[in-house]
Amino acid sequence: MPFLVSLVALAQVAGAPAAAQEKPRSGGELVFVVPSEPPSYDAHREETFGLIHPMAPHYSTLMRVDPFDKTGTKPVGDLAESWTIAKDGLVYTFKLRQGVKFHDGSPLTSRDVKASYDKIIFPPAGEVSLRKSAYKVVEVVEAPDPQTVRFRLKWPESSFLLNLASPWNWIYKADILAKDMRWYEKNVMGTGPFTFVEHVKGSHWVGKKNPNYWDKGKPYLDGYRALFMSSSSAQVAAVRGERAHIQFRGFTPADRDSLVQALGNKITVQDSPWDCILMIAMNHGKKPFDDKRVRRALTLALDRYEASKNLSKIAIVKEVSGIQVPGTPFATPPEELAKLAGYGKDINASRAEARKLLKEAGAEGLSFTFKNRGIPQPYEPLGIWLIDQWRQVGLNVKQEILEASAYHPMLKRGDFEVAMDFQCGFIVEPDLDLPRFLSDSDANYGKSGDKVLDDLYVKQSQATEAEERKRHLRAFEKRLLDEEVHSIMTLQWHRIIPHSSKVKGWTITPSHYLNNQLDTVWLTE
Amino acid sequence: MAINVPVEIATTEAVPREPRARWLSAVVGFTRRRTLGAVGAGVVVLMLLVAALAPVIAPYDPVTVDFGAMLAAPNAKHWLGTDAFGRDVLSRLIYGSRTALLVGFGSALLGATVGAILGVGSAYFGGRIDLYLQRLMDVFLAFPLIILALAIVAILGNNLQNLIMAITIPMIPRCALVIRSSALAIREMPYVDAARAAGFKHGRIILRHMLPNVMAPYLIMLTAFLGQAILLEASLSFLGLGVQEPTAAWGLMLRGAAVEFAETAPWMAVFPGLAISLAVFAFNLFGDSLRDALDPKLRTL
Amino acid sequence: MWRYFLKRFLLMFPTLIGVAALIFFLMRVVPGDIVELRFAGESSAASKENLAQERSRFGLDRPLWKQFAEWMWGLARLDFGKSMWTGASITDEIKLRFALSLQLAVMATIVAVLLAIPLGVISAIKQDTWVDYVVRIFSIAGIATPSFWLGILLILGLLIVFKWLPPMVYTPFWVNPWQNLAQLIWPALAVGYRYSAVATRMTRSAMLEVLREDYIRTARAKGLVENLILSRHALKNAMLPVLTVICLEFAFLMGGLVVTEQVFNLNGLGLLFVQSVAHRDYTLTQALVLLVAAVFIVVNFLMDLMYAWLDPRIHYR
Repeated sequence: MPFLVSLVALAQVAGAPAAAQEKPRSGGELVFVVPSEPPSYDAHREETFGLIHPMAPHYSTLMRVDPFDKTGTKPVGDLAESWTIAKDGLVYTFKLRQGVKFHDGSPLTSRDVKASYDKIIFPPAGEVSLRKSAYKVVEVVEAPDPQTVRFRLKWPESSFLLNLASPWNWIYKADILAKDMRWYEKNVMGTGPFTFVEHVKGSHWVGKKNPNYWDKGKPYLDGYRALFMSSSSAQVAAVRGERAHIQFRGFTPADRDSLVQALGNKITVQDSPWDCILMIAMNHGKKPFDDKRVRRALTLALDRYEASKNLSKIAIVKEVSGIQVPGTPFATPPEELAKLAGYGKDINASRAEARKLLKEAGAEGLSFTFKNRGIPQPYEPLGIWLIDQWRQVGLNVKQEILEASAYHPMLKRGDFEVAMDFQCGFIVEPDLDLPRFLSDSDANYGKSGDKVLDDLYVKQSQATEAEERKRHLRAFEKRLLDEEVHSIMTLQWHRIIPHSSKVKGWTITPSHYLNNQLDTVWLTE
Repeated sequence: MAINVPVEIATTEAVPREPRARWLSAVVGFTRRRTLGAVGAGVVVLMLLVAALAPVIAPYDPVTVDFGAMLAAPNAKHWLGTDAFGRDVLSRLIYGSRTALLVGFGSALLGATVGAILGVGSAYFGGRIDLYLQRLMDVFLAFPLIILALAIVAILGNNLQNLIMAITIPMIPRCALVIRSSALAIREMPYVDAARAAGFKHGRIILRHMLPNVMAPYLIMLTAFLGQAILLEASLSFLGLGVQEPTAAWGLMLRGAAVEFAETAPWMAVFPGLAISLAVFAFNLFGDSLRDALDPKLRTL
Repeated sequence: MWRYFLKRFLLMFPTLIGVAALIFFLMRVVPGDIVELRFAGESSAASKENLAQERSRFGLDRPLWKQFAEWMWGLARLDFGKSMWTGASITDEIKLRFALSLQLAVMATIVAVLLAIPLGVISAIKQDTWVDYVVRIFSIAGIATPSFWLGILLILGLLIVFKWLPPMVYTPFWVNPWQNLAQLIWPALAVGYRYSAVATRMTRSAMLEVLREDYIRTARAKGLVENLILSRHALKNAMLPVLTVICLEFAFLMGGLVVTEQVFNLNGLGLLFVQSVAHRDYTLTQALVLLVAAVFIVVNFLMDLMYAWLDPRIHYR
């Protein structure tokens, strides 16, 4: 593949705050609420924020997403001080920082990084690694000397650096892994800015400042306390009663309004598009959803712009989007998006076309069941909205709600006509967001086997220039949402974090899995 | 075995009068003397009418989304305000009565009837059958209600019929036990023995002699269950099991947006709760007075 | 009499075993298992080999009867095993929540009794007067009102009127009694009101029945002071059904307050129940069901004892 110049990236200690007029103050304990508890302590095998929020501060990763970048798409080094990429794009070499120590005092070397990544990419038999498939491109991980880690790839992948910045790739201690691969499921030993103090089940998690953290002067906080509260009204109450500073997942618009009303300028609200979206999966194996006219009618019926305005008042959704989160580098600009089916500004015209298509396909007045998940936000409001919108083109839709444990098996079995599908990513990157639409993906519940789409995906993944990549992505999006309508995007989730104004140094990103190490956070007094 | 609801301790009554006349006259005298009960009955009848005439009296369609009128406070156009989707609360309450009554009557009738049959059968046949049935009832009685409901819904799917089943099943053992203890008392009665000696078949004895005598506790349990069923439906819908959006159901109306917006739009949470309370209140008033009227010992007042 | 009690005591066991069998098989009939659930979260879908691996880790691929036998054997040794979802011992998982649920149940029962007995007695004595009507309406309102709705209104009321929120984090009583009570008094009131309603009606009807018993008439005829009649004879026999109700409701309070716990954010047994079923955490759900059923069965047994002791007129088969 013809190629780009090799890059030499200079490390920034991810510390220079973008708009820091105030000087960070040391001290204080950050108290935050977490809606669920970690089922185990090993990030390589979990995927819930209930693990990340209380535990990420104990660990470092090789690369991380710039905590001050609102789009959450810029990779910077965490343990990596600098890196070089070979000309052919197949070798990534990282130089590790000096003087990094585990919480037990032992030094971190490249052996630890290699052992951790081997566990993630090449797990031993019997070990579960959820992200194994994301690193199919890696051939081998090498540790030629104590300060150097090298990744050799099978083919060039422009998103690799960002992919490595996954918040789940905690670096564990090689010696411990060698003795017991499972140790980390129940124990904590990392190099992060906070050391582990205690976890009281059903109650709280406490972390304390790591005095030997490699980034001198940080963390600013003396410690943190995570309170586990599953009820969202209790979480809001905690912030409102000033018993907690922040909740890192997101609150609803109603919660935000009540907090702002109650606390005035003691509350700061940060919001951003969220890297989560609900899509509509249509079972391509069941009539009449094998007919693309019917699928097209379903998307034409939806007045996204009206919904964006109104649903955003009562639900955690907002932006009208295509296949990428609006505002990120590869997102389609709104004018372009408006050309796709279902994104037009004239809803009456769209709906007239929908009715026509349904009639042509012999599906006028069609009745079907829409299977949805029993989660109050935003599944249920979106379900209500969808049924109403489909009613406007004469469709007679009944909703069936399944609780989570029944919901996944149902999707996998393909036991549905139309169902709510979902995607939550930790980094906005087409290589991470799009594989589920490919023919061979386990997550392609609608079973749309489209070779053209597969082809377009490969093209964009291997594109070397941003403009070329964008072209392929537009073509992908058009085919997915307009020509074939294999899937239907509803609205992008919207992340709203109202927090105590005392909390500084934390920037919201589209993902609730990012920016949780808390090293840059400080409290005013 | 300890007994739940209205209590039947072994009576020391002498030979009772003919069963049927007793409860008929009680019902007649009921309305005259028990005003509270009559009020309860009146409300129940009103509810039935509202449910039946819903399409006629409801001002709006309960499922039409109207974003222009989101979260509106009670006003001239929407007497009880609107919810987060601009749907008229009053209309949803009216249609919700259908779900409440359907679930309420459905589960209560089913539960009480099956329970009564099991109770009478258990008492009449006695011996091994009684022993095994009792143990089975014990097991279901001791089993936590909410888990049973969750499990049933998870296995069979989340819809109205299964909700009714989930509510009916815990009611059966409770009814069976109470009916059984009544039936036991009857079984000891001289005329039952006489009937058996005369060679009458089981079925006839049960139908002619035992069932009429358990009518009183049966009706009492039925009305007690009615209220409980509606409450249970509310709780389960609140948890997300059972009736689904966009169908109107009182418990469902309390879920989600109602709690979230409770401060800024309290009418969404207040009115469905009031509706539930009123319905259960009415059923209980009625059942209360019915029990007062049917309980043989209190009749003498 | 002793033979009767022995029989009832022994009967507790088949009931418990029946409950154990029911929950064991019920959970396995419910679709979906913990493995599917663990690895099908918000982002990815795990591969089939991963799922199979994990299943054998949990022992879910072994034949059913074997799993059941192992579990029963563990129970016999009072070993409840580990929670599938967290891997922690079940006794630990339950301990914290048990304390909270127990305290709430006790407080609610106290509220209920403090309300019910005086109200029921007054209502019975003044039957059919306006006092009676008011009490009856008050108590029926308690039964009719969904306690979770009452809870929502309570919190709302505290917030709007007093601008105060009860503490949302649980502190055990011996650590900080004031904060503990400040948190639990509100759900105790909401729940207690409802149970006082049932108990009030029971007290009233029991008092009414007893007030008309022959021996009361005799006592009156003998000319004993009215109060003495009430307190000694009437109350003692009225206690029976009232105690029945109180005990049964108490048994229900342990683990039955799912929705109330949600509303008040209490980390009690009810919430644990719902979570364990949602997680398909077989071992935890089974243990919880057994615990709650055992409480219920034992309470029933104790009630039988009380029945026999308090009213020797009752004949048993």
